[in-house]
Amino acid sequence: MSALDRCYSIPDLREAARRRLPRGVFEFVDRASEDEIAVRNNRDAFHKIRLMHRALVDVSGRKTETVLFGKPAALPMVIAPTGAAGLCWHEGESELAKAAAKAGIPFSLSTASMTAMEKIVASGGPAVGGRLWFQLYVWKQRELSHALIERVKQAGFEALIVTVDSPVGPNREYNQRNGFGLPFTPTLRFILDMMRHPLWVQSVLLKYFTTIGMPRHENYPPEYQKSILSGVGSREALRADSLNWDDIKRFRDMWPGPLMLKGINRVDDAVRAVEAGLDGLIVSNHGGRNMDSAVATLDVLPDIAEAVGHRTTLILDSGVRRGSDIVKALALGAKAVLTGRATLYGTAVGGAEGAGKAISLIKSEFDKTMAYTGCRSVDAITADILFGERGANRWRDAAD
Amino acid sequence: MAALDRCYNIADLRAVAQKRLPRGVFEFVDRGSEDEVALRNNRAGFERIRLKHRALVDVSSRSMATTLFGKPISMPMAIAPTGAAGLCWHEGELELAKAAAKAGIPFTLATGAMTSMEKIAEQAGPSAGGRLWFQLYVWKRRDLSHQLIERAKAAGFEALIVTVDTIVPPNREYNDRNGFLLPFYPNLRFTLDIMRHPGWMANVLMKYLTTIGMPRNENYPEPYRTRVTSRDPERAAVMRQDSLSWEDITIFRKMWPGILMLKGINRPDDAVKALEHGVDGIIVSNHGGRNMDSAVATIDALPDIADAVADRATVLLDSGVRRGSDIAKALALGAKAVLTGRVTLYGTAAGGADGAGKAISIIRSELDKTMAYTGCNSVDEITTDIFFGDSQGNQRRDRVGAMA
Repeated sequence: MSALDRCYSIPDLREAARRRLPRGVFEFVDRASEDEIAVRNNRDAFHKIRLMHRALVDVSGRKTETVLFGKPAALPMVIAPTGAAGLCWHEGESELAKAAAKAGIPFSLSTASMTAMEKIVASGGPAVGGRLWFQLYVWKQRELSHALIERVKQAGFEALIVTVDSPVGPNREYNQRNGFGLPFTPTLRFILDMMRHPLWVQSVLLKYFTTIGMPRHENYPPEYQKSILSGVGSREALRADSLNWDDIKRFRDMWPGPLMLKGINRVDDAVRAVEAGLDGLIVSNHGGRNMDSAVATLDVLPDIAEAVGHRTTLILDSGVRRGSDIVKALALGAKAVLTGRATLYGTAVGGAEGAGKAISLIKSEFDKTMAYTGCRSVDAITADILFGERGANRWRDAAD
Repeated sequence: MAALDRCYNIADLRAVAQKRLPRGVFEFVDRGSEDEVALRNNRAGFERIRLKHRALVDVSSRSMATTLFGKPISMPMAIAPTGAAGLCWHEGELELAKAAAKAGIPFTLATGAMTSMEKIAEQAGPSAGGRLWFQLYVWKRRDLSHQLIERAKAAGFEALIVTVDTIVPPNREYNDRNGFLLPFYPNLRFTLDIMRHPGWMANVLMKYLTTIGMPRNENYPEPYRTRVTSRDPERAAVMRQDSLSWEDITIFRKMWPGILMLKGINRPDDAVKALEHGVDGIIVSNHGGRNMDSAVATIDALPDIADAVADRATVLLDSGVRRGSDIAKALALGAKAVLTGRVTLYGTAAGGADGAGKAISIIRSELDKTMAYTGCNSVDEITTDIFFGDSQGNQRRDRVGAMA
């Protein structure tokens, strides 16, 4: 596939995705919220960290493998849950899951995905060497969410991720402008947009039409499982602003496997989560897509790692675009990162092959950064490779 | 040469080079890696430092001359090793070496050069008043590297520089895009690129083709001295550097009685280790921001390394030097001299030895003026006393600033 061959980095894949996708879909994936301050800050935080390369350590046998929740991962990276994978490619979630299984890293399926979880288990589950995590948005009618958890357990997912940073719908103004809201109401602008992308219409949209019809949220309970065109059941039922620690207690009782909270930003919340028996915490600001004033995840990571890093598995997302970003997150206390956009760009360009390309680009960058900094194993990545004093760095960042 | 006469600073020379060179060659010389963060930071590191000018000191007899490894130099600068000089100008390494000899500063020949070391030694070596250093990339097959060291010794090179910051090939995505990779295989884009630069084609490429044929890495051992167009897969394998270790340095130290330097030291602990291995010089470098894109700016890393080394070895700095004032800043923070790579390559591309000489003289004039402004009559007088803010506080602020 020649478009993929010409991509040498995630920014290249992003550019190729921009050309391929209707603007409404691309911006839904690519952009953030309001003035897009959080998304810029996420990137800046990574750029601010300077590494010192290490001379003359024989790193020829270095390994990028690690262990997450007791099982091996080829790379300290996991595919983040994303709602729009199925609009980037026909059954994009399935493609992503396949790519993840092939690369030896876990894949997270979003509640809002357009491919049924059972299908993902078949195409990217343990049978093909995959590790599957499920991300949960909690509905107002809790019994429906509880039923969903049972369905996830039945399907054989290894871990459950509860997203706790989306109590309200974010201000993603471009979605309104593009006519790309859920429920999806095609405006004239969106129809023109699609007409400019016939390849997408043919290879994504028409494939759905000729099989299942309009894409649906396949993991929603039957009463909500309407096509994305429908407004039924979405707005009011999806209200999550009553989600609280009592729910987490309940989920803990229901879910024997690894249980994670996604969207922890505060040290006190992290401590409370660990006390509530969570196995993992994902330091996330939803890729800068929710609260636009959110602190960069890399900036809050050190404090959280200091407080709970030894008692839980800390994972970071939001802003990872380069392999060196993983090195920085690990040096500051994370055990792994999630990538959302990076692998979605790849999916949009070439399905499983494109997602695989994205993973391999990041893996190669990660491997090189390990080599430069003299780290032969993932465990060897510590704050020792950071330039400057960690405290000074942190406070300076906070002051900025 | 008219184009050179219109160049008043390095940025001007860069602009001429950009016009003259095919895009693939220019970007290979000019750019960094990945998102080019390190490249920008190297410059920002220098630009952050503020100097105070000194009033009413008689500086009319000031001098930039100093000594480096016991021998005189006309200014605290040496030419860095660069692989692409021979693509900027026909036998560009030789042009650079001649310019350096004329200006009274050392020249470093890269392992990847396209002109043989013997030719450089003959035409720009001690007999022509030049000081020659040789930069070593270590091949997987160590015996071949050891042979190369013997060859450099026999050719009369004064110093050996072992590059230690290139253990894996960097991500220079523009090279892939431009079709500018080694082994070099011209894609359509590069072919069109060359055709848009007939001057370069006539003066550089055709001169090789009509004499030696396609340029080769003339200093590679015989089995690997292939055309730059060769796609021999074994060549990539021998270039693997990720097993390079301190044991190699021990061996090189035994083999090389002359000046031995490590290029690409970023950490004070590595600098101390280098001293324990008997090296004479340490070059604080991040390869011009061309390798690890998250690398700390060298001017930010320098003070701690200079403290750790004290007077036990000669500390040099490179990466980001574009103005004479940058040299003053590096010297104040503990370097004995700097290396320039791109600066003198831009000059070479713009006008061969004349252009390289022009680049050196521009930097020289800028350093001279900076010394005059700050009241320094000799390079030994350049200390952090000329910095704004107390020297320690300033350093700290710079370091923290580098993080932010």
